[in-house]
Formats: sequence, structure tokens, C-alpha cells
Amino acid sequence: MATLNSFAETLEQAERSERPLDAIFLEAESSERELPPERVVQIFRERWTVMKDSVRRGLAGGKSFSGLVGGDARKVMEYTRDGDIAGGRLVAKCIAYSIAVLEENSRMGIIVAAPTAGAAGMVPGTLLALSEERGFDDDFATRGLVVAGGFGALVAAKAELSGAAGGCQAEQGVGAAMAAGALTFLLGGTPRMSVHAAALTLQNTLGLACDPVAGLVEVPCVVRNGFTAMLALTGAQTALAGVESVIPMDEVVEAMVKIGEAMPRSLKETADGGLAMTPTGCRIRNELYQIR
Amino acid sequence: MISLLDIVGPVMVGPSSSHTAGACRLSRVARALLEEEPVEARFELHSAFAKTMRGHGTDRALVAGALGMEVDDPRLKDALEIAKERGLRYALKPKNMGPEAHPNSVAITLTGASRTIAVLGASIGGGMIEIREVDGFPVSLSAKDPCLLLFYEDRPGVVMRASEIIGRRGINIASMEVLRRGKGDEAFMRIDLDAPLPPPDVDALRQMPGVRRVHVLDRVAGGAPIT
Repeated sequence: MATLNSFAETLEQAERSERPLDAIFLEAESSERELPPERVVQIFRERWTVMKDSVRRGLAGGKSFSGLVGGDARKVMEYTRDGDIAGGRLVAKCIAYSIAVLEENSRMGIIVAAPTAGAAGMVPGTLLALSEERGFDDDFATRGLVVAGGFGALVAAKAELSGAAGGCQAEQGVGAAMAAGALTFLLGGTPRMSVHAAALTLQNTLGLACDPVAGLVEVPCVVRNGFTAMLALTGAQTALAGVESVIPMDEVVEAMVKIGEAMPRSLKETADGGLAMTPTGCRIRNELYQIR
Repeated sequence: MISLLDIVGPVMVGPSSSHTAGACRLSRVARALLEEEPVEARFELHSAFAKTMRGHGTDRALVAGALGMEVDDPRLKDALEIAKERGLRYALKPKNMGPEAHPNSVAITLTGASRTIAVLGASIGGGMIEIREVDGFPVSLSAKDPCLLLFYEDRPGVVMRASEIIGRRGINIASMEVLRRGKGDEAFMRIDLDAPLPPPDVDALRQMPGVRRVHVLDRVAGGAPIT
């Protein structure tokens, strides 16, 4: 971004100018891309449409390429229709929609990375669930998407967003933090609350390993998008209630980078450790690749 | 600078932004540098790239990029079959590039009817890439923005004449890098531009004395240009 280097600076700018976060981010993106703000909004709106499509296709679709995952998003939705669910419709939809995007992704369907493909579920999943439940229109949801993008860009300025460099915290942790910031914004929280929502969410994913079974973006990635969506919802709920993160967001990001560096390669997208190397994980890999 | 649209994006074929979309883009850069239809593609994959190659569709994505496909092309998943139809021979194998190399590194060698090009690059997350070597010259380029690569004989005046041709067109040079193998030996120039250079000016660069080849990379790895 042309003018924003940290969460502290962004927050300072938003509070000083008394403008909403999406306006601040839009201005920065517009100057970085040399495009009018209306055009940037239009592109975000198009991506929002692709995101909604990916949820819809995910809920309708079948098994993944390997056959390991698929159909779980639909199970969660069908159970919800029975009206017997712990957290109500919003919670159920957040989980189901986030999983749906990753199921579509695992079939090599079209998705929008947010910030990565393996973490593409939370942002569309939670924003769509909230928009449906609260009656927000697409234009308003798109404003949330801009906030999510801005938060991701601020993290990416300091950290590489890949499981190979930083483990799952750098993918799903960041995706959940983006979603938390956007949910808080859509629910009328202040910019300060949005930043705290992101900080509270990200710090609770620190150290998360990237240990995909057989190297596929399937287990645990697919259902994990549903679980980290819940972290985003918790982040928004707590921040809106006035809970603040003791460690500022910029420092949480720095901690994430250092933890990523300290994590062994076996837990960073190599499929050489963790769940990937459990007896079941190894058996699945061997069967898929006919290794004896 | 990280763009919001690189974070909420790219629109892509799954399953991995770094191992599918990023891999496709790395290969697209190699194809753009080759400037002709490749008949042979060799991919050497390091660390995480090699370990999860099949699971992440990295093999399909690399071959798709060599075939010129974009990251959101639904045919990406059939790239291996399409390569056979189109007569592109390909080989993929793991290669340990040492502890310093980025875990998502790949060395790509593409051969066309008249030349071969070697590119070393890394997929650095969320579909973003960095090219680290072109034909043995260390570079650092994202291939997101318009960029020119010049290979020429090391001699006085080349840098000045090149910037003159670009300046005359009113195009701003964002950044520039000049390297050489040795005094009077083969030299290399990378020029990042704020806008693409029109073809007649690229031809003028090609006709400069001492210039061996000029490559044009116009947002090869940034998706379709957003205007």
C-alpha cells in the first residue's frame, strides 16, 4: 500500500480522519494501482461474486480428487435445517460455507485466494453467513471484503503468507484475522475494535502447524477452515464487547513471523510431520501414491 | 508494496495458491521469456515444492504455465493430458537446492524450436512469485508489473541509449538493475516500467549495437491487467 505500513498507523489515520477502515484501504489501493476507487470497488464486487459462487458450488459438489474429503459442508447445512445445533444458524452457516469453499478448492474448482487457497474459506464463509442472516446487501458485504483485504495486506507487508514459510498460522491464522476484522466492521464496530478482533484471532492461531496428509490441501485443511471461522467469529464477538488484545496487532504479526522461523520444516507444508506422519496419514499417502 | 487485490485474490483453480497458482505463474514467466512454443519442459523442484507436488497439483500447474494457461483456466487440471496432445515433452524431478533456497523453489528449463531458457524462481505465498535467476544471472523480479530484460555485450553507452528510447516514449522507469559476467563479457539489464513499452520501441532496443536479446514481461504473473 502506498501510505499504510502498520496496523497502528492505519488505526491512527482512521481515528484522526474519522473515516471508516474501508475508505482508508480503498484510498491506498487506488493510489497503489493507479485506478479510480470506483473501479477498485467494482473488482472487489466481482471477486465477491466468485466467492459466493464457490460457496454454492462447494455445497452442491461431491468428493475431492483423492476422495478423502467432500460433502461435509452439506452435512453441516442439512443438520442445521433440522434446527438442532449448538450455535444457531449464523454459526452453522459460518462453518458450512467456509468448509464449502475448501471442498470446491480440493476439486480444483475456481476459488478466490484469501489470503491463500488453503485458507480461502473463512473470509467468504463468514461474510456471506453474516450478510444472509443480517440482510446485508452485496455492496455492504463488499465493503467488508475491502477491510479483509486491507488487513491481509498489512500482515503481508511483514510476513510471508505461506505454509512453507510460516506454517498454517500464516495462512488460516491470517485468513481468520482478516475475517474477524471484516466481521467487526460489518457489525458496526470501531476501527479500533476491528484491529483488536484481528489481533485476538491471530494470536490464538500462533504455532499452528501445516501438516497436510499426503501433501493434499484436504486433511486437515478443509474442516479447519470451519474451525478457524469460529475463531474469527469469537474475535469479532469479544472485540465488539470491548475486549482488547494486550499485545498490539503489529507485535502479534512479528511474533507469528518469529514462530514461523522457529518451526521445523517438517511442520511447514512438507507433509513430513504432524498429522501427515501419523500411521493413518502414512497409510493414506502410501495408498494414494502406491508406495510400498 | 502489497496490493489488496493480491490478498483477496487471485481468482484461481485450486487447491494451493503457492503450489498451484504460484507454480503456474513461475512457468508462465519462463514461457514468456522463451518467446516461442516450448517442445520440452524440465522442472526441478526443491523441498516443500517437491514433497507435495502431486497433492497440490504442482505438476499440472507447472505444465499448464508452460502451455500458456492462466491461473484461473479450468483446463489447468487437464494440463498433463493437453501437453501430450500438443506435443510438449515434460519431466519433473526433485532437487535439493540447499538450506538457503526458498522451500518453494523450482528450476525451469524450457526448450523451443530455436532456443532454451533457464529460470529459477520461488513461490512466496498467496500466488505471488519471485524470479531469482534467468539464464544464470541473479535477478529479483515479481513479473507482476511491466518489465524488460536485456542481454547485451558489456560496453559503454548501452544503459544510456536504452533509457533514452524509453524516456522518449514518456514512460517512467520504476527501477533498474545492471549486471555483467565480467568486464566486456555478457551483461544483463532489468528495467521495471510504470507502463508497457510499445513494440516499435522494443524493436529499437533490439537493434541497439551489442544487444543480443530483449525480453518483454508484461504482467505475466499478475493475472489479466486491471484497467
